[in-house]
Amino acid sequence: MTSIADGSGASGRAETMGAWFVVKKTLRKPQFWFGFTMIVPLLIWYWIFSFWPIIQAFRMSTVAYKLLDPANSPFVGIGNFLKISQHPLFLVSVKNTILWAVYSFIFHLPLAMLIAVFLSKVRRGRNVYQALIFVPVVVSLVAVSLLFKMLMDPEVGQLNKLLSGVGLPELQWLSSSSSALPTAVIIATWKGLGFYVVILTAGMMNIPSELYDAALVDGTNPWQQFWRITMPLMGHTILLITVLLAIGSLQEFTLPTVLFGSEGGPGNSTYLYNMLIYQEAFLDIRFGTATAASLLQFAFILAISVLQIKLIRPSWSY
Amino acid sequence: MAVISEARPARRRLPRRILISQSLIQIFLLGMVVVAIFPFIWMIFASLKPFKELVESRALLPETWTLRNYEEILGRVNFVAAFRNSIVSAVSVTVVSVFTSSVMGYIFSKYRFVGKEILFTIILSTMMVPFAVIMVPLYITIANSFGLADHLGGIIITGFYTAFGIFLMRQFMESIPFELIDAARIDGASEWRIFFTLVLPMSLSPMSALAVFVYLFNWDSFLWPLIVLNSQDNQTLPLVLAGLRNLWWTRYEMWAAGSMLTVVPVMAIYAFASRYFIRGIAMTGLKA
Repeated sequence: MTSIADGSGASGRAETMGAWFVVKKTLRKPQFWFGFTMIVPLLIWYWIFSFWPIIQAFRMSTVAYKLLDPANSPFVGIGNFLKISQHPLFLVSVKNTILWAVYSFIFHLPLAMLIAVFLSKVRRGRNVYQALIFVPVVVSLVAVSLLFKMLMDPEVGQLNKLLSGVGLPELQWLSSSSSALPTAVIIATWKGLGFYVVILTAGMMNIPSELYDAALVDGTNPWQQFWRITMPLMGHTILLITVLLAIGSLQEFTLPTVLFGSEGGPGNSTYLYNMLIYQEAFLDIRFGTATAASLLQFAFILAISVLQIKLIRPSWSY
Repeated sequence: MAVISEARPARRRLPRRILISQSLIQIFLLGMVVVAIFPFIWMIFASLKPFKELVESRALLPETWTLRNYEEILGRVNFVAAFRNSIVSAVSVTVVSVFTSSVMGYIFSKYRFVGKEILFTIILSTMMVPFAVIMVPLYITIANSFGLADHLGGIIITGFYTAFGIFLMRQFMESIPFELIDAARIDGASEWRIFFTLVLPMSLSPMSALAVFVYLFNWDSFLWPLIVLNSQDNQTLPLVLAGLRNLWWTRYEMWAAGSMLTVVPVMAIYAFASRYFIRGIAMTGLKA
């Protein structure tokens, strides 16, 4: 209260008494102290736990990091980047990671769209269906990994018992190098789908129903309504989902690690890039090459995200 | 009362075409629900079967019901400690980061100061940096500067702020009118009071959305705890559960029992609060 009363009377004097007075006036504002006590901890935290580690990562990627005497680590320039690109598992892990992302898109997007369309159209029980389809998202990913490793055991697993029960050939699932990766992505899809379904359904429910009524009057069929109304109006939501999906799948680590251990599946077939970084950093303790590898990943994800935004971003907004 | 119910028109029969398409949609969604939850139902019963039956039988229900699996697993693995660690870290990260996000969302949307937009942009852009980039320097900081290696504090302190949360809360608080806050200032309310009694109560729904989001993320967090927490007594549930793989190679009844122990408490909460979970995710999708 006082500050406001003072402020109005003081504005004339402020010109004559100069900058010091403006500072004093600002300091007396209650907003200043509230903002100050909140922003300072934010700056300190972000400096220690975000900005500084990022700066350090760029520095570490150019030195042969000495664990016991980090200050005297010799500078090696781009040596770490060359070293990691010659790692015997580098190309394998890059190939697997890109495959993982591609499979993620193929398995997630059409199915999530389909379920979301049906959820937005169904007249009874939408909330119950949504709640049940969302269940796998809530469950710990590690429990999901163990669950499917049991179900997919080629000898005693229930899925093969089911297949042979209806006279189909049994599958190797996670146990053969050719099927392990797509099977693992199916598990990831099972676990993650509900998340995308909920976001897509919310987006679709946001489309004004008048548009569909008008289209119905014009004699369109559901197929045309989907491609001419739903898809164009969902542009922003779809962009969000594809970016999230790309960022998430290119950094996948937990699922393949729990399913197969840190070496990644039959014959390295599910060895992903993040597992390579983890191995370099914390199993082989080569901090320099590990951070170099992570910066390559950073550049790649950044490029992919920019590309997606350029390609998908709608030219309009609500 | 009776008059009103009689006056209501009889339920209109749906046109045949809509009836058919609605039935097909129901069947499809029902199928999806079965796919989504049947594996759990199988796991519930699997955890109650002896090993021999689990691997040999095709039946869903156990022939011999047993709780031995749970006895054995609780005798060998410290699930209670793991549970406590998970709850403590996930809850404290959620409480602190929802608070900091709300405060910073308020400040970034309603305050004017030098460098505001630059600071906000820098904070947002840290979201683009993959975790793998900072995990080594961050571990060195946590271990050497803070002495928090193999300590739950190392997990908690790194979760105090979230760029996503600040962004989400700012988006929402842009819609709170300035006039409301100015009016409270003229009435002599302190900034603290304005924030706690005016701004926070208006922001409960995005806050609960953010809380759900942060909680799920931290409850499931694996890589960072794997790096920081080494000794079993300090580990969180996902790590301890993943450890069962090495402890009991292919003893599936133990895996099932261990998974159930970690899944059931979350599912119990979800059964009552599923509405908030889903609204939370839906809202983050619409706002972001």
